[in-house]
Amino acid sequence: MADVRDILDLETPAAPEVTKEAILGSDKRARKRPENTRTSKRPEGMNREVYALIRQDNNVVPPLYPTDTGKGYSKIKAKLGMKRVRAWEWTPFTNPARTDGAIFHHWRRVVDAGKEYPFAVFNKKVPIPTYTHTEYVQHLVTSGWTEAETDHLFDLCKRFDLRFIIIHDRWDKKFTARSVEDLKNRYYQVCASLNKVKNQHEKIYHYDYEHEKKRKEQLKKLFERTQKQVEEEQTLLIELRKIEQRKKERDRKTQDLQKLITAADNQTETKKNDRKSSKKTNTTSRQKVSRSDSTNTGKLHVAEPTGIKFPDVKNSGVSLRSQRIKLPSSLGQKKMKGIEQTLVELNIDSNPPPTEQICQQFNELRSDIVLHYELKQALNTCNFELQSLRHQYEAMLPGQTLTIPPSLLPDQSVNKTDAAGSTTGATNA
Amino acid sequence: MSNMLYGGDEIGALVFDLGHYSLRVGYAQEDTPKAEIPAVVGIGEDGNCNSVRGEPMDIDDKRPDNNITQSTPKYYVDTTILHVPRKGMEVASYMKDGMIEDWDHFEKVLDYTYSKVIQSNAEYHPVLFSECPWNVRNKREKLTELMFEKYNVPAYFLVKNAVLAAFANGRATGMVVDSGATHTSAIPVQDGFVITGGICKSPLGGDYISMQCRQFLQDNDIDLSPSYMVGSKEVVKDHDKPRWVKKKNLPDVTKSWHNYMTKKLVQDFQATVLQVCETPYDEKSVSTAPSVSYEFPTGYRQDFGSERFRIPEALFDPSVVPMRGGVVGNTIVGVGNIVTTSVGMCDVDIRPALYGSVVVTGGNSFIQGFPERLNRDLSMRIQSSMRLKIISANGCAERRFGSWIGGSILASIGTFQQMWISSQEYEESGKSQVERKCP
Repeated sequence: MADVRDILDLETPAAPEVTKEAILGSDKRARKRPENTRTSKRPEGMNREVYALIRQDNNVVPPLYPTDTGKGYSKIKAKLGMKRVRAWEWTPFTNPARTDGAIFHHWRRVVDAGKEYPFAVFNKKVPIPTYTHTEYVQHLVTSGWTEAETDHLFDLCKRFDLRFIIIHDRWDKKFTARSVEDLKNRYYQVCASLNKVKNQHEKIYHYDYEHEKKRKEQLKKLFERTQKQVEEEQTLLIELRKIEQRKKERDRKTQDLQKLITAADNQTETKKNDRKSSKKTNTTSRQKVSRSDSTNTGKLHVAEPTGIKFPDVKNSGVSLRSQRIKLPSSLGQKKMKGIEQTLVELNIDSNPPPTEQICQQFNELRSDIVLHYELKQALNTCNFELQSLRHQYEAMLPGQTLTIPPSLLPDQSVNKTDAAGSTTGATNA
Repeated sequence: MSNMLYGGDEIGALVFDLGHYSLRVGYAQEDTPKAEIPAVVGIGEDGNCNSVRGEPMDIDDKRPDNNITQSTPKYYVDTTILHVPRKGMEVASYMKDGMIEDWDHFEKVLDYTYSKVIQSNAEYHPVLFSECPWNVRNKREKLTELMFEKYNVPAYFLVKNAVLAAFANGRATGMVVDSGATHTSAIPVQDGFVITGGICKSPLGGDYISMQCRQFLQDNDIDLSPSYMVGSKEVVKDHDKPRWVKKKNLPDVTKSWHNYMTKKLVQDFQATVLQVCETPYDEKSVSTAPSVSYEFPTGYRQDFGSERFRIPEALFDPSVVPMRGGVVGNTIVGVGNIVTTSVGMCDVDIRPALYGSVVVTGGNSFIQGFPERLNRDLSMRIQSSMRLKIISANGCAERRFGSWIGGSILASIGTFQQMWISSQEYEESGKSQVERKCP
């Protein structure tokens, strides 16, 4: 820094005098530091890395949330005491889960001697109902199944813990071949009828054979689709989505158009009403002006969606009426320009004196201008679409021309008079 | 801590895993077998005329009934003594089609195992055997009988090796693709039971690849003299004629033993050189792959390029290999195909579970790129909506001894100890219960 100052020919401020306090002060700080580290000593058993995370040099309280685990770090998990080692012994044992009482040997703590084999508790078996011959004859006889077959089924169920796919796989070939569903159906049938007979309040499971069969068939079909089929399905789905999207688009467009048309209709109607009401207001006393005003605004609300939304002046107290003819900023640059241009064309002052009536009518006029503008645009797009469709048609079927019925073609004269009509109405007012 | 219950309980059981290439033996609860013994037995003509009589590795074959005299053939088991050239020693395998065929020879191997590998008496150790999933009833019963009657084992159990392989990979349900020495098979397993109706196998295995390699090497006039014949050799350049001297005083070895030794050589070549392409074989793409150099025992050295991809391609697309000696035709299908066929034969409900864990095991799956190629082939065959996962242990021992490790795990699980067929049960109900107790 000093070199820079030299180069720039700047005056060097007087070097801070080396005072005794300065030295002593820093000395004090330096002397303090080791004391701090000594006080916050790393707890025993805590990893150095972990400690580094929570310790800070300037002894700020570590950003840790207090926990109630107690002195977690001071506790050592494994207690490596000086106790005597418990002896292990190669001992014989019998497993209660076995029926034969076979004796095996394993390593076991001497202190645990005499305890039951710990793994015997895991010997769980699926409860499978049993039946006697008489029970079978009385309740379980059905066509298509012999007793021997049913016995075989129940034997397999017991052996394979109701794993029906395995049971199906190990089904004795000497019996008629059965499907997995057949086996399941028979098993649950027998279970249900045995339950009924023995009147056990157990849940009766119902097996929906037909449904299962159908499900499996469908699953099979699903798995056996070829790559081509899958791809075809995929493309079809995409196409469908496209078509739906297009349809939605079209619907939206017609809806917009419909809205415009109804708005236009409404506007002309309100105009008629307005004229009547305004005549009335003229004739009636001044006090009624405010009322008619309110009705007018109410009617305007109907036509609002397509015209200009003038904000209500909500400010309490006094406000300038010229505020009412201010265009809302949400209108957009294009429409504002359009309004301006039309006003110029019609020779109307763009900032008329804001009397009550002028305000209202000026707003209505501009609202109509916007509507007119929008209608014109809608007409244009429709026209464009019609033309493009015609070109498409001609491109698809070369040599043929599509004659559009004249009722669909835009009639310039009608359009003009319509526009003129609306504007003249406004100017009249 | 004393009330803590662990999953394992060791009862000193032994696990035997039978294969065409070797027999794996070891204690349950260990992570690798104690020994891997080749699945062949060397049979010497006469114990008398052989100078190796006093060797400690031999088994003294003293039958209790002494009607057989000195002319009893001597048996040579395990790599060390099998690889010594001996006059008139024939080599024979006791396995056939995944099952034990020659019971006498198999007993010799068991004798050897107990006396030299386990070095403990058979009656102290419950025994868990693996078997191929298509093992037939009389062979299962015969093995049961043998173990209880001859070896007096306290308990015995028989499990399908595919189930064990699935266990070793932490799955109870899955499709086990076992590519071993003599065949490659796809075995669907659900909840630890093999679905026998869905087993698919093809005879294309390690031995077939060895045969192809041997054919290829012979066609290229490469001297396949195994190392036992080589007395000395000199360093030569690539593709140069090897300069080596044959060992002197070689005994008059049999053709079967020479073939066995040559096969060992080819197997080594196979393990070093071969690789499966990740995409179906294509001469162009393969030619850019790096070649691998291999030096034969005679000192001859050569780089192998596209051949090393072409030979194992037969596993996945047998039609690639030209017909030779009528062994391979278009009727044999590739690995990917047997898997899909096998799954197709199973119930639709478990198909997603099977594709969800395809366990690759067996020594032949060690050909570089095998699991990757299988993954690719399967994902081409099945729909993209089906979740496909290929599980193959990365470690050499884990995949090679896949089913042995599964057996080791199973036999040391506490809840398994109630499954054994005990000697008491055998006394009561005889050998026929193996069908019932060991599904």
